[in-house]
Amino acid sequence: MKVTLNWLKQYVDFNGSPEDLADRLTMLGPEVEEIRKLAGDFEGVVVAQVITRDRHPNADKLSVCRVHDGQGERQIVCGAQNFQAGDKIPLVLPGATLPGPPGEKPFTIKVGKIRGVESHGMMCSGRELGLSEDHAGLYLLPPDAVIGQPLAEHLGRVAGDVLYDLEITPNRPDLNSVIGIAREVAAQSGGQIRLPQVTLPAAAPGLPRAADLVEVRIDAPDLCPRYTARVICGVKVGPSPAWLKSALEKVGLRSINNVVDVTNYVMLETGQPLHAFDYRLIARNAAGKPTIVVRRAQPGEAFTTLDGQSHQLAPDTLLIADEEKGIALAGVMGGLNSEINDRTEDVLIESAYFAPTGIRRTSKTLGLRTDASYRFERGADPGNTDWASQRCVQLLLETGGGQLADGVVDAYPEPIPTRRITLRHHQVNALLGIVLEPAQVEYYLSQLGLRIVGRKATPVDANLAPEPVTVQIPTFRVDLKRETDLIEEVARLYGVDKIPATPPRGAIGSHPFDAVFDQHAEVRRLLVGLGLHEAQGQTLVSEAAARPFSPNLVPLQKPLSSDMNVLRPSLLPGLLDSLRHNLNRKNERVALFEIGRVFLPGQTQPAESLRLAIALTGPRQPEFWAGDDREARFDAYDLKGLLEEFLEKLGLRGVAWVRSQEVSSVFLESASLALGGKVPLGQFGQLLPALARQYDLRDPVLLAELDLNQLLVRRTATRTFKPLPAFPSIRRDLAMIVGETVTHDAVLETIRSAKPQYLERIDLFDVFRGKTVPAGHKSVAYAFTYRHAERTLTDAEVNATHERVAGQLVANLPAQVRG
Amino acid sequence: MSSLLNDIEPLKQAALADLKAASDLGALEQAKGTWVGPHGKLTALMKQLGSLSKEERPAAGKAINAVKADLESALAQRRAELELKAAQPQHPVDFTLPGRRRTLGKLHPLTQVTDDIVRSFRKLGFAVADGPEIEDDYHCFDALNTPADHPARDTQDTFYLQPAGSADPLLLRTHTSSVQIRVMEKQPPPIRIVVPGRVYRRDNADATHNPTFHQIEGLYVDRDVTVGDLKGTVEFVFKDLLGSDVRIRFRPHYFSYTEPSFEIDFSSPLTRKMGKDWLEIAGCGMVHPQVFETVGYDPETWTGWAFGFGIERIAMIRYGINDIRLFYENDLRFLSQF
Repeated sequence: MKVTLNWLKQYVDFNGSPEDLADRLTMLGPEVEEIRKLAGDFEGVVVAQVITRDRHPNADKLSVCRVHDGQGERQIVCGAQNFQAGDKIPLVLPGATLPGPPGEKPFTIKVGKIRGVESHGMMCSGRELGLSEDHAGLYLLPPDAVIGQPLAEHLGRVAGDVLYDLEITPNRPDLNSVIGIAREVAAQSGGQIRLPQVTLPAAAPGLPRAADLVEVRIDAPDLCPRYTARVICGVKVGPSPAWLKSALEKVGLRSINNVVDVTNYVMLETGQPLHAFDYRLIARNAAGKPTIVVRRAQPGEAFTTLDGQSHQLAPDTLLIADEEKGIALAGVMGGLNSEINDRTEDVLIESAYFAPTGIRRTSKTLGLRTDASYRFERGADPGNTDWASQRCVQLLLETGGGQLADGVVDAYPEPIPTRRITLRHHQVNALLGIVLEPAQVEYYLSQLGLRIVGRKATPVDANLAPEPVTVQIPTFRVDLKRETDLIEEVARLYGVDKIPATPPRGAIGSHPFDAVFDQHAEVRRLLVGLGLHEAQGQTLVSEAAARPFSPNLVPLQKPLSSDMNVLRPSLLPGLLDSLRHNLNRKNERVALFEIGRVFLPGQTQPAESLRLAIALTGPRQPEFWAGDDREARFDAYDLKGLLEEFLEKLGLRGVAWVRSQEVSSVFLESASLALGGKVPLGQFGQLLPALARQYDLRDPVLLAELDLNQLLVRRTATRTFKPLPAFPSIRRDLAMIVGETVTHDAVLETIRSAKPQYLERIDLFDVFRGKTVPAGHKSVAYAFTYRHAERTLTDAEVNATHERVAGQLVANLPAQVRG
Repeated sequence: MSSLLNDIEPLKQAALADLKAASDLGALEQAKGTWVGPHGKLTALMKQLGSLSKEERPAAGKAINAVKADLESALAQRRAELELKAAQPQHPVDFTLPGRRRTLGKLHPLTQVTDDIVRSFRKLGFAVADGPEIEDDYHCFDALNTPADHPARDTQDTFYLQPAGSADPLLLRTHTSSVQIRVMEKQPPPIRIVVPGRVYRRDNADATHNPTFHQIEGLYVDRDVTVGDLKGTVEFVFKDLLGSDVRIRFRPHYFSYTEPSFEIDFSSPLTRKMGKDWLEIAGCGMVHPQVFETVGYDPETWTGWAFGFGIERIAMIRYGINDIRLFYENDLRFLSQF
């Protein structure tokens, strides 16, 4: 809502600075989003006196003048002929901007040379100043004009105005009007609101009555509780007077003609949208009387609004019609067939109260939002319908003349009852945490136009005023519905800033998620320590990107675009997007993780679950300037090592890594992780090269995705101390040649089944394929660590065990021990 | 006779010069042999002691032993020098060269800001709570007193899921306030929770909008909770979060689920750097009695407040980030800055 300071000042006295008013409004609720100084009329134009006038050396029709501007003398080149030395004239100083003639751009005066002679400003004609149409010569000022005085002051014009742009919350439709805002200012400052005096011409004998000229029939009282009509005959449609034009243009509305401008002006002033019909274009009923019918649209009915757009109307659309046709989309926009035009003479003014839901529905369905629909759908004031109509008619008579038909046709079949709310004074203090005297509370309410209409006879407490009190709510305050709303009003006028802040107190909160939140933080900390950066992806992804990760998706009903039309079934497509983004920007080594929710269709409704995903691509090591392995890229063992370290530190042991056999739409090779071989935890592997290419990824891409809730449920978070070994260990290495298909797991299983005594751990330290190893085989080397907890082992004991294990391996894998 | 005594000093000088001249450990060992080894010249001199007279012998013996000690000490010193010299690498370390970096990952800035906010609330006894992102109209709107025709419920502003069969329409929550309802449905008062989480608005992505973003919200329900309590807590949290020189102000505002409702502005060196005295940062208010009635709390017994704000917005203000999309691109050059 835009409003100017000068407009506000018509209704309320305010003495502070414009900034002070902005602060007060903001602290009352309507936040001032912008405050802009409007240039005053004739800024940079002063009264000056011509001292000398000489011929221009290079041009016959120009003269070179010395002019006194109150500060000093300037040289001005001028083409006018109607003046002489001693005359007082309006002088535009360099840097000032003139509005320019209508239809042309404003122009700024600069110091410049005219035919070789410098000119430091410009003396103007009436037309150049917009004061008259005269362009024949300078606009000569009277001899008593004061040299150096701003022209605006000389002419008695108001100085610059201030424009406020206010954010009006949807609960306060009454503030979408200048009077509404003035009312707030008055309430806060303790002043009184000054409404314009509306007096209409008395009925004259021989003049028709409105009721004779028009009939109003409301067929849909649920959508239109009240409709008023007034008629003015013989209106002269034409341009608006300057004050009206300027008032509208300052707040960003275009001037159209005096009739339309007045309806807009009164809407801005009172918050009540109005519409003017060309009275003669309204069809007559059987009795020969033009009739307004307020009805729902008929099935299939079409209507052309005054912007020329044709609309197919839904059956619930409220139409203003006559007996033959629709003439306006109620509360939204008028019709092309009845709008004010050059030939309009008689005007019918509509002022009505339409139900918010109906207007909202129509505006939404047709995609048509207007200043009127905006106000109606938030709630107009049913108590103000007729006064706004009177105000409109008053201004129309002033600006367009004509004769007002006596009276009004006011169809208001079921008056809307006024609301009453009960207020307990003690509750005000209890909620706000302050101590206010009841008299003070009631004063604040009265400042807002809320009246105390009832009071319980006996006080609850000897120290308190009798309560509760009953408060009558004016019709314009559609937001006040119960006690707490009144308490808010008290808080606003008392000043939210003045409520003292009390230290936090009481009650320790609890929620099952509280501990989980910390576990998530722990997971993040581990992964960050492992060198991964945390990512946060979009939860909305494209179906095409999601499809390889899940055949079942959760689609949006009305997506913003096909790039974001399903909820992510996996964190991986988002991470792949992030890899691409980084690679495209030459961040070649990317190691990311994300913790987030994924969404999959469920039995009754989609299920959300929490996952952890990791993505690696690019060089294994950060860049370094030496070393044989500096070209190495991340591979599956990097990711596995990372996962092993992470899972172990998190407290998960006994994870089985089982190669996935089925063909995957995501992975070239992959394994599933399962706890104790049974509880699935997730999977990891290398991305299919074809899919990698789609994401512009050239190096191998390693991905893992785990079920985070499962990890947290299954982890052993508690730690128990194990005494450090007191006796030394003995190490024996064993290198052997085995077939390619023999897995590390198979080796471990064979060793385990031999049940070797005192074996503490086994570490694989070499895998080798090459000349000395037969084709189809590999050499593997393990370090066996033996230890006894209570004594030092002897070589003989260890050798015996070790040879037995080696023998089992040779026999069962089979293997051949290397020398 | 006296020739032996006279020989001692020149021999010592020659030996010291020889040791000093040795340019590597091998040469030093050789010099050692020449002078103090079993066949060395000093050893030879010692063997001649027996040929001296009884009177001369002690002084000469003492002098030779002194020379021997000097030579051994000189030898040890020279050996240490040569050993150090031998240990010097062929290519000395250029300490200005870059080292082998071990990368440490970083937490996402949104995580860092969320953690900081949660830490502040927890100091006051708040517990972290969460709830589903897929919601129904009831928990996201109806129970929060949002009128049936409120613009926020529009398919223009809210993402609805494609209806699957008979069930009620589902949507992606537009605020974390839906968790208030879920928690109050389950737990009796008093309540003290803080809820971080992802929310959705049907906005096209630009520098200040993303269809998903994060909010955090606090809810406190107890007996005799006042606007004063709300202000006290808000001030504590923001000072904890943004510095003790931050100033806070409340302005009346409108939210359907609180009454009175306020917007919170803050002012600090950060806002002044952005050229603004006051910057809007959060919304809050006293829980609407209608909301309490809906979840079955008696509004005559219980009052409470809620406040919430956007995590991205706080992060953007704190770090001076100018484009919200940066949070979701996961560009390492961005992530590694925080």
